[in-house]
Amino acid sequence: MIKLKNIKKVYRTKTIETTALNDIDLHVPKGEFLSIMGPSGCGKSTLLNIIGLLDAPSDGNILVAGKSIKNYASKETSRFRNEKLGFIFQSFHLIPDLSVLDNVELPLLYRSISSKERRTLAEEALASVGLANRKSHFPSQLSGGQKQRVAIARAIVGNPEIILADEPTGNLDSVMGDEIMGILTKLNKEEGTTIVMVTHDERMAKKTDRLIRLYDGSQVA
Amino acid sequence: MISNYIKLAWRILGRKKFFTFISLFGISFTLGILMVILSFLQSELGTDKPLTYKNDFVYLNTLSLKTDFFDTIVSIDTTFLNDEMVLDSSFEIKGTGSMNWNSELNNGIAEEYLSDLESAEEVSIFIPSSEHDVYVNGVKQTFSALYGDPSYWNIIDHQMLEGRVFDQKEMDAVAKVLVVSDKSAENYFGTKEGVLGKEMFIDGTNYKVIGMYAHTGKIMPYVSPDIVIPYTNANLDNQDSFYHGFFNVLYKKKKGVSADKLKEEIVYAATRIPMDHPSKPEGYEDIVFRPNTYDEDYAQAIYYEREASKSYSIMKWIIISLIAFFVILPTLNLINLNVSRIMDRSSEIGVRKAFGAHRGNIISQFIIENIVQTILGGLIGFGLALALINMINKGGYLMNARLELSPKFFMYSFLVTILFGILSGLLPAYKMSKLQIVNALKENKL
Repeated sequence: MIKLKNIKKVYRTKTIETTALNDIDLHVPKGEFLSIMGPSGCGKSTLLNIIGLLDAPSDGNILVAGKSIKNYASKETSRFRNEKLGFIFQSFHLIPDLSVLDNVELPLLYRSISSKERRTLAEEALASVGLANRKSHFPSQLSGGQKQRVAIARAIVGNPEIILADEPTGNLDSVMGDEIMGILTKLNKEEGTTIVMVTHDERMAKKTDRLIRLYDGSQVA
Repeated sequence: MISNYIKLAWRILGRKKFFTFISLFGISFTLGILMVILSFLQSELGTDKPLTYKNDFVYLNTLSLKTDFFDTIVSIDTTFLNDEMVLDSSFEIKGTGSMNWNSELNNGIAEEYLSDLESAEEVSIFIPSSEHDVYVNGVKQTFSALYGDPSYWNIIDHQMLEGRVFDQKEMDAVAKVLVVSDKSAENYFGTKEGVLGKEMFIDGTNYKVIGMYAHTGKIMPYVSPDIVIPYTNANLDNQDSFYHGFFNVLYKKKKGVSADKLKEEIVYAATRIPMDHPSKPEGYEDIVFRPNTYDEDYAQAIYYEREASKSYSIMKWIIISLIAFFVILPTLNLINLNVSRIMDRSSEIGVRKAFGAHRGNIISQFIIENIVQTILGGLIGFGLALALINMINKGGYLMNARLELSPKFFMYSFLVTILFGILSGLLPAYKMSKLQIVNALKENKL
């Protein structure tokens, strides 16, 4: 599903060169639930951003769903993200001026489907995370766990093959965290969605199929 | 998608009330003033009735008798020291000068030499504005009369409300008839109804009203007179020169012929006028005509330069500067406000891009949001413009000009509003669309 070959990411300023990722080789097969762990600043989020085409590597090649995305034009990259990927962020990143339903609907805005169909799909996604009755609420009216469930609904509404989750339970207490993990695991097991999750939480990582560890930009386990 | 953007724009306007107030104040003030300028331009220089054929007009209102003379300036500046000349800086400047004796035309000249030109479709000879005091129920009113000919009605396209205009037979027979504007009819008779056949007492003569046209306030007096009388009725006793008099000549050029061609013919016609008439002042040997288009003549009335084309170019620059002042400065200001407003939403842009929005989506979203805001400002500005126009018309602050609210005015106002929205939104939207997703998400303002 995802293949990374010799991925390097170097941040350069006039005086300093910082290597964030160093020769990362990784293969995530279809349907796998992979977690990435490591101390702060080890390059976990950078790796996830590169997998999600949110950032470009300094060197190396990425194959996602069998396609090398190295030479993609910006519009193709956008379409790829829209159709194949779903994102879940630690701080939810919901748009405060949009209702819960409008937030969930957002990825579908960039597809050519009718507004009626968009509404139906968004309502279904919300129902699948148990928030059908909150569709007219605004993010500020929800708890942290509810916000993350809305974010999951937004990530799955377009039926992506891969979900990339950056510390999805990082801002939640353990009960809420377990609830979110439950939804992700169910998604992985029942829908076969490939999930790559960055986490600090060993307990959450143990619930996934495989765990890799990064240290100073290199894969150590 | 568009409805989604509009909904979002509406919510954002409601969320940031102070920002919205500042933006809307600027937008509505700017657009309000622009709409007044548009209304003025449309009313005075547009092609609504009665200026339907305005772009075919060539106007001659002056006959210049010209004389050339030698001009010598002598300067004596000699310095003596102990009775001896030490410096003699006396000099002479020899040059030529010219003098013009300008006045309106004698109708004889106009009829004989200027009324049959190849490029002209219609020619009208008239006294543009002759003011007469009229007493109605003991109250003095001043009416501006145009003494014209039947061709006048074929060039100035007044909207006739009732009756008819006078014809050549009535002209020749010096018929005591007139055509009145509805506004003047109301002022004179107290009503616009049933005025046909009634008489108006103007300058010691009773004239029968044979027609009524819609009043349109224009700065150019010949475009919106109060009454129009056959010019054979005019008192021409004081027109004692063969050359000079009270008349102007207005041409409507033939289709497909340039105004310059007709102007050349008018200028050439001056050479056919005899220069041996006893009424010619001594020393004046040439006649010069300087015909203008309507816009040039208008410009000359506002800012006089001997060459009307120079006046026209100055008027154009005044209009462009006014529009620039009222559009470019507020646009720059709004761009600045928009940049800070959109910067505040950088993480939203990051999220949208992460979920598949490409640059075009981001640009169109912010432009649509900006247009929503501008349309709102445009509506307030429109109300402001209506109030200003009403005030200007009631107070008569622009001479005779009456600012109109024509369909074209609404259309132009709408276009200006949309253009303003696009212009002030494009640059910030473009700037933000280039934002890197990772950096945008780091802002974390959501």
